[in-house]
Amino acid sequence: MRALIRFGKRDRLRFISHLDLQRFFQRAVNRTGLPVAWSQGFNPHPVMSFGSALALGWTSEYEVIDIKLSAPMGRKRTEDAVRAALPEDLPVLEVRMIDDKHPAPMALVRMSDYRITLEGDDAQRVYDQVSAFLERERVMGIKKTKSGEREIDIRPLAVDLRKTDAGLYARLMLTEQNTLKPDLLVKALADMAGVGVPEMRIHRLMLLGADAEGNGRPLMEL
Amino acid sequence: MTLSDRIEKLFMSVQKPVRYMGGEFNAVMKDPGDVAVRYAFLFPDTYEVGMSHLGMKILYHAINARDDAWCERVFSPWVDMADLMRQNGIPLFTLESRTPVRDFDLLGVTLQYEMSFTNILEALDLAGIPLRREDRTDGPFVICGGPCAFNPEPLAPFVDLIALGDGEVETGQTIDMYRKWKASGLPREDYLRMCAQIPGIYVPSLYDVSYNEDGTVRAVTPKPGSGAPEVVMKAMVPKLDEAVYPDKLIVPYGEIVHNRIMLEIFRGCTRGCRFCQAGMIYRPVRERNMAHLMEMAEKLVDATGYDEISLMSLSSGDYSCLPELARAMVEKFAARRVRIALPSQRIDNVLTDTLRQTQKVKKTALTLAPEAGTQRLRDVINKGVTEADLMRSVTDAFDQGWSAVKLYFMLGLPTETDEDVLGIADLAAKVRRCYFSIPKERRAPGLRITVSASVFVPKNFTPFQWAPQLDYDTVVRRQQLLRQALNQIKGVDFKYHAPDVSYIEAVFARGDRRLADALERAWRLGCRFDGWSDQFRYDLWLQAFRECGIDPDFYANRPRSEDEVFPWDHLDCGVTKTYLLSEWHKAQRAECTRDCRKGCTGCGMKRYEGACV
Repeated sequence: MRALIRFGKRDRLRFISHLDLQRFFQRAVNRTGLPVAWSQGFNPHPVMSFGSALALGWTSEYEVIDIKLSAPMGRKRTEDAVRAALPEDLPVLEVRMIDDKHPAPMALVRMSDYRITLEGDDAQRVYDQVSAFLERERVMGIKKTKSGEREIDIRPLAVDLRKTDAGLYARLMLTEQNTLKPDLLVKALADMAGVGVPEMRIHRLMLLGADAEGNGRPLMEL
Repeated sequence: MTLSDRIEKLFMSVQKPVRYMGGEFNAVMKDPGDVAVRYAFLFPDTYEVGMSHLGMKILYHAINARDDAWCERVFSPWVDMADLMRQNGIPLFTLESRTPVRDFDLLGVTLQYEMSFTNILEALDLAGIPLRREDRTDGPFVICGGPCAFNPEPLAPFVDLIALGDGEVETGQTIDMYRKWKASGLPREDYLRMCAQIPGIYVPSLYDVSYNEDGTVRAVTPKPGSGAPEVVMKAMVPKLDEAVYPDKLIVPYGEIVHNRIMLEIFRGCTRGCRFCQAGMIYRPVRERNMAHLMEMAEKLVDATGYDEISLMSLSSGDYSCLPELARAMVEKFAARRVRIALPSQRIDNVLTDTLRQTQKVKKTALTLAPEAGTQRLRDVINKGVTEADLMRSVTDAFDQGWSAVKLYFMLGLPTETDEDVLGIADLAAKVRRCYFSIPKERRAPGLRITVSASVFVPKNFTPFQWAPQLDYDTVVRRQQLLRQALNQIKGVDFKYHAPDVSYIEAVFARGDRRLADALERAWRLGCRFDGWSDQFRYDLWLQAFRECGIDPDFYANRPRSEDEVFPWDHLDCGVTKTYLLSEWHKAQRAECTRDCRKGCTGCGMKRYEGACV
């Protein structure tokens, strides 16, 4: 049995790196008192996996961790135990018990929804590029990879993009081959507006998988 | 924009923002409106170093256990952050509430190491607090404790109070006194005068220092009418089982130096190694009861989720029921996969029984500290360990599957000769032979022997406080001598450093008030994080001494006469000067002193109520 847990990352804890968060959860699961399953081998550790890494400084209400249990546990008890083991700024938002055959969350992720809030004098000029962006057939952007920089067409990677009261709402592809990060999207919009990249706050609203037709479905519901 | 927002703006531009983030699990949050005293506790080094320190955890807990006070943490911002804070006008702040340190009532500073002194000045400056006490008209009182508080004279103009000895009780007394002073409406200086009555509290500004023509101290005396005691006795907690100890520990997000539960099994050491300041100033030995330790361990495992417990003390092998304790711990926590680690093992009583127990959970490098290469020199320093002890320990360890051994030595100990230095290589070769004496099928592959040799720094309140530090050139020559000798032995790795840092450390370890100007000058020239080899600037330190007209050799390399008045003679660490002098004489005769568990050696500790019963 596994516990699929959705949690938030907010306020000051947005500065924990993904690696530090993983280490943190190793100790946090020890605090839960849950019958956590341990890996075999030379260096045993609790069996768990994460949804998708969140960049340093971004907040989220849709982080997912999958913890393997060695004995059956009720959903409510699991939720309470995990909540007690986490600090306030990593709030537990949803818990679902799944069986061992359920695919790992990481393998299901296809896209992510973000709220992007721009700051500074150029913010409005960047927001104003949304419709132009959507009308374009191609928008070239520079993607930084481990092996260097590469120019890619980011237009098809933006599944949805809208101006909202809070800033931008964006649904962006998030797979191993095709990923568009929100800061790269903003850079492209800023380039189109002919201004520098404004400071921004990025908040993950949801991680999504896809149904048979390729339409986005919330990860927790798959 | 709030201060918190302005701080976070810098996070994306610095290494490891997690150092400044706060919000860790078990960090204590209170409502500022609910407390009478805000206490900022500064560890003048990085977050990773400070968060690994047991004393800070104890005092953080002790202060926060009070309803009327809130203790928050501060660490030295790394140089990248410090520079950005200055550029952006952000004052030094606490991790919990991100409040400027200058707005606190009390600022506690722990002095773990002489080479962190410039970081204290850096922190005061970043906080916007004038460096010198006489220039401060408001803001927190600065209280320093920790081992280096036993020679606080170089810091005298910068601090308000020095807390000597165990902090559990005296820290609370300084808080009580603060409330009393605040309610009285008396001027700022009166808080200092009031605190001079607290056992263990030394108020440097209430003392006059006079000097002889040769530059040595003539006398340190209380100012007339100050009410300050002629000699300040250290604070001592007689029974540790009754002292406060954290039942929760902050669990950091980033990796820190020692990321595990630290369980202090006893305080003090009875060995009497003559170079060791901790062995003198933390007397007497006070053990915690085993049942109490088991209970503390369980609470801490539950509260933190850590998978490792370190049994802490100056010499854990000396705990009177160590085998029982280790076995009970291993049994109790094995199912929860919690490892038990025994640090600073001593070679004369690493119990193979205990070793077997710990190994069941984890196998790290065996760390041994013979300190000196020959029996004669080990007798001089009263390291009551023989070559046979060492060989037995490593052979046992190799037999049980260890293949990595770390050996720690000091160069430049009093009376050391080239022969003693070559004795280190000799020992390393013998350790190697022990490994090959174990049949191939029984021993673990991949022998690694690491020999580390630090440069000896004579410390005050030790029998070697009269000894000069070995001169720079001889140290360098002996390091090379040892390096060449060790090169002849296969599989040995030699670690050593230039004597620069040890030399500056030696200056401050036995310094007086006149060094304060050089310290400030060095900081103004840019010295900070002197304990970090990538930051240490020897050239700037020498320049600072030159500009202040101070000869550092006077402090580091001068032999002291037996009747010299020391700058710390008005402080009492528990061990008397008479005892230290008799130990210094015995050292010169290479005569050993027994472990005082086997019978009192008359160090002077019995003068303290509740000690040595």
